[in-house]
Amino acid sequence: MMQTDTSLEAALNALLLADAHALDSKDMPGWLGNYADEEAAAYYCRSAENSEHGLALGFMYDDCRARLEDRVTFVNDIWAGTFQDYRTRHFVQLTSFDRVDATTLEMRSNFSVFMTPKDSGITQVLAAGQYLDTVRQDKNGELKLLSRRAELDTSVLPRYLVYPI
Amino acid sequence: MTEINLSWPKNYNEVPKEAFVRKDIYAEEVKRIFHGTEWHPVAHESELPNPGDFKTFRLAGVPLLIGRDVEGVVRVFYNACSHRGNQLETAIMGNKTEFECPYHRWLFDSKGDLVGCPNPREFLPGFNKADYPLAQPRFDIYFGLIFVTLSAETEPLLEYLGDSQNCLRELLAGDGRLKLLGYQKVRYDTNWKSYTDNDGYHAPLLHQAFKMLNWQGGKGRQYTATHRGHICFESALSVATGPSVLKDKSLIEFKGQDPAVGSRIVSLFPTFVSTKHLDVINLRFATPIDAETVEVHYAYFAHQDDDEDMVRHRLRQSSNLLGPCGLISMEDASVFHRIHIGNHTPGSAIFQKGVHDPLKLESEFLQNDESGNLPRWEYYRSVMGFERATV
Ligand code: FES
Ligand SMILES: [Fe+2]
Repeated sequence: MMQTDTSLEAALNALLLADAHALDSKDMPGWLGNYADEEAAAYYCRSAENSEHGLALGFMYDDCRARLEDRVTFVNDIWAGTFQDYRTRHFVQLTSFDRVDATTLEMRSNFSVFMTPKDSGITQVLAAGQYLDTVRQDKNGELKLLSRRAELDTSVLPRYLVYPI
Repeated sequence: MTEINLSWPKNYNEVPKEAFVRKDIYAEEVKRIFHGTEWHPVAHESELPNPGDFKTFRLAGVPLLIGRDVEGVVRVFYNACSHRGNQLETAIMGNKTEFECPYHRWLFDSKGDLVGCPNPREFLPGFNKADYPLAQPRFDIYFGLIFVTLSAETEPLLEYLGDSQNCLRELLAGDGRLKLLGYQKVRYDTNWKSYTDNDGYHAPLLHQAFKMLNWQGGKGRQYTATHRGHICFESALSVATGPSVLKDKSLIEFKGQDPAVGSRIVSLFPTFVSTKHLDVINLRFATPIDAETVEVHYAYFAHQDDDEDMVRHRLRQSSNLLGPCGLISMEDASVFHRIHIGNHTPGSAIFQKGVHDPLKLESEFLQNDESGNLPRWEYYRSVMGFERATV
């Protein structure tokens, strides 16, 4: 099915919001569900500072589907009950998108993430940056993330990270 | 030096919590420790592999410019113009063969010499460029690890490292020929001493991961080097066996050549922690920001002889295993914050595991003993001039 640009844009926005919603709800299976069911599905989180200097190291480097699934296990099982929890709010804004081929798109969006530790109740900025996404479109027109790189302007995080950005 | 009072308990295994939170104590620590007779690792040469490469770093507020000059020699400068003291370089890292101060356009070469300044005829009579190079702190290098001291009285670096030398050399892959993979940088809401007290020292009970991954801790040795209480851990490498909850087991796989080399942790007074675990080589450059904040730059490395597959493996393992979001260390990071909150209560933090006699200091410990930190606390107490109670 051919989509007009406006409905495509709406669908991309819906994907961005679905991911923000899953993260802010700490719904890790929901987060995983936003990714394409392909071996190559990937999530990276790293500072723009590293990228600009050609350094590939990240805060999170989940370069295959298995690692995305393990990320769910880290948060839900391995780390459960060991950390001081915090709420997040993701604000995302689509800035550009391009079609690569019949089943692939690229999109960029800005994000800012607020965090509120449960104990202090004080809200601060956790990170700001941009998402560099490759999006997979299946036969029914449904969109999933094939790969996402959360590139952080914030090179010094205000604390540890439990959840992906 | 200002006299400050803090009554220190008689028992070696007790540390007054006030030491972690009092602002007057922090101000004195900056003078006596960070600007005093200690060596501080600030970079590894492999972060500046090429002529002209530089990195900037602030050591307890003091801005440093660490660079490799056009001839390939590593040098450390104060990152401040020799004219009016303007911060010279603002980039975190980069490559430059000259540094120009924008304020009055003084120009320095990569050796720190002043090579140009507009209108010197208007300056003081007899002004000579040769008298105005960038100022330098004392620095020295051990297997590529660059140390700075802000005091003229600090003993030579090798003496400072003492018996930690060998463990540190092994941690630096035996020859120090590293290759930078990148950084994870973070600020923790905790006093710098809570950070160093709880980083490196391992609280296995905190980690669900070990049980879930079927990972037994390796048998190992923990010992103290020098009267400063530097802490070294040496343990045989243990590799996870049996079923694991991980779908991608490469995260905890060991691909190195020599498992006998095992895991190493070296924690040098005051704030440096470094570790080699599985195929991760990690140097943590840390500096206090204020009494309640410490900034840690986790730098990760490969070895120069690694093939492409090994570099990739190290990159994948380093990003996800240790550090502020690592599988087996995120909880440690969370503990730094909670310890600091808890330290705003009366009394002392009491060390238990491995303490045989509270009135004696030891220098050999078991791998997970808390008591390994105690020689360092005794050194801290003496540097700060706190009197130990006799009853
Ligand atoms: S302060 Fe740098 S040129 Fe004047
Ligand atoms: Fe740990």
